[in-house]
Amino acid sequence: MSSSAMKKKVLLMGKSGSGKTSMRSIIFANYIARDTRRLGATIDVEHSHVRFLGNLVLNLWDCGGQDTFMENYFTSQRDNIFRNVEVLIYVFDVESRELEKDMHYYQSCLEAILQNSPDAKVFCLVHKMDLVQEDQRDLIFKEREEDLKRLSRPLACTCFRTSIWDETLYKAWSSIVYQLIPNVQQLETNLRNFAQIIEADEVLLFERATFLVISHYQCKEQRDAHRFEKISNIIKQFKLSCSKLAASFQSMEVRNSNFAAFIDVFTSNTYVMVIMSDPSIPSAATLINIRNARKHFEKLERVDGPKHSLHMRMR
Amino acid sequence: MLNMTTRIECIFFSEFHPTLGPKITYQVPEEYISRELFDTVQVYIITKPELQNKLITVTAMEKKLIGCPVCIEHKKYSRNALLFNLGFVCDAQTNTCALEPIVKKLAGYLTTLELESGFISKEESKQKLLPIMSTLLEDLNATGACTLPIDDSNTIQLKLIQQRKDPPTVQEYDVPVFTESLCGHFQEAAVKRLVYYGVVTLVSIFQYSNVYCTTPKVQSLIDDKSLQDECLSYVSKQGQKRASLRDVFQLYCGLSPGTTVRDLCSRYSQQLQRVDERRLIQFGLMKSLIRRLQKYPVKVVRDERSRPPRLYTGCHSYDEICCKTGISYQELDERLENDPNIVICWK
Repeated sequence: MSSSAMKKKVLLMGKSGSGKTSMRSIIFANYIARDTRRLGATIDVEHSHVRFLGNLVLNLWDCGGQDTFMENYFTSQRDNIFRNVEVLIYVFDVESRELEKDMHYYQSCLEAILQNSPDAKVFCLVHKMDLVQEDQRDLIFKEREEDLKRLSRPLACTCFRTSIWDETLYKAWSSIVYQLIPNVQQLETNLRNFAQIIEADEVLLFERATFLVISHYQCKEQRDAHRFEKISNIIKQFKLSCSKLAASFQSMEVRNSNFAAFIDVFTSNTYVMVIMSDPSIPSAATLINIRNARKHFEKLERVDGPKHSLHMRMR
Repeated sequence: MLNMTTRIECIFFSEFHPTLGPKITYQVPEEYISRELFDTVQVYIITKPELQNKLITVTAMEKKLIGCPVCIEHKKYSRNALLFNLGFVCDAQTNTCALEPIVKKLAGYLTTLELESGFISKEESKQKLLPIMSTLLEDLNATGACTLPIDDSNTIQLKLIQQRKDPPTVQEYDVPVFTESLCGHFQEAAVKRLVYYGVVTLVSIFQYSNVYCTTPKVQSLIDDKSLQDECLSYVSKQGQKRASLRDVFQLYCGLSPGTTVRDLCSRYSQQLQRVDERRLIQFGLMKSLIRRLQKYPVKVVRDERSRPPRLYTGCHSYDEICCKTGISYQELDERLENDPNIVICWK
């Protein structure tokens, strides 16, 4: 593809054992939640390059959170770690007994970010929420969010509650990655055009390897605001189960009397999900439309490709 | 005497703590390694997986630290692994070659002790490391040797072998006398002395990993009847019917670059039913029907700033390098096969 892909540096920091490596293994390395139990401690910084959408490379810095390492990051490695950061993801273990110490490290990070990468976006993940009683979760998260937003000033931070055991992980990482995609507005405009032409109720665009939702269109309100991350989670698990049987997931059609949903490979870097609630439109028509739209979206993914607006032809 | 050239200034035991990270648990003498020094070198003491279980020497702030970071993976450990490193600190000018086998041996011993009885992971037994390290420091510096009883069933024996001069050039002779190869077998004091104090000849022995190829002289096996007889008598397995010329000739011709004796044995198992492969090789070498091929590593990629390669020039065989450096054949092979900057030539 393009050799001039944008490189964006993402810092992943937080106390030792808070879940950083587990999260990144699930999102980017096809681990299932259970597999992360086997992971060892991260020694110093683990670097990984993740190709995303063909025109973006995420340069992930997974920073071991033990005290010795943290001290080093703020002193001898300060410039190296905190320069040119696009995104800081700070992970908090919701069960931590050392809240003051956690906040102290967080603030040291923010200081270093302010000095070296003041335009960086900051995300706080309040993690391991599954260990909190269900009826307490909203309350506890709200409290933490308030504290963090207050402590982060003058920097703004976006907070998420997460767990590797449910879809909340996908919601957080989807939102984070969404901020990094270079031409996301254009992607959304084209997706909307596509959806309207084929008369879809809803269209979702997923990144192919991670199944993070990177764009979506809906023509009316839907009941479940968390459906995106749920779908990501479900399909990703299914895809991994398929590969364990040496089969590779390609496409799926789910139908009942009220709707039809199509999930299919879209471009070389994406999957698409189309929801049709008009029962009179046959599957074949929708599938042909999806196929026809591919070429145009492929062009969008190439950094140096021409900027087309979408021209569609119905069957 | 021996100790003048390799004085150990400090022995340390470093561990990875699940929340504190890499730290020095014990060191003798106390506080020898400054906070600053440890911060500088810790990434080579408690290392990432790629550097684990390898001998690592790092020089910084006028000091040389020689250690072997050990990683024992098991889900019973916090974070699924136990990471530690027992190492020596010397002055940066010191020639530390003689210490390397000792550090490696100690790493091996501690690993065994941990696997057998949880020696390191249990606080009560880990404490014993401190007096052990004190004794080590004292004895190795004073006499170059140390015998340590660890517990009821384990004793550590260590000896420093100092290099007085460069080891003599290794040479190969085609002689039908086979002695132990030195690669990886530094157990006997006598053998050690032979290498470092005056032995010149080293003859390659029969090893299944050796590679040979035929010489033009192999044709004489067909032409020369008396050679044939001699050969078949020599190579046939004892107590069996005499091997056939056809089988033996096929075997010799099966030897080629890239084919080890092991490969030959699996490919030609039928022909080897009546042939002793050791004697086959011996005879072939004696009569110059075959010759040994050695691996010669060449460093092909390096930037202008780095020193020119000393051993990886294409002029030094594996055997030579193993003996000069004390690394085992397998370890050298593993190291070099995985190095993208090194090309191996057979000749």
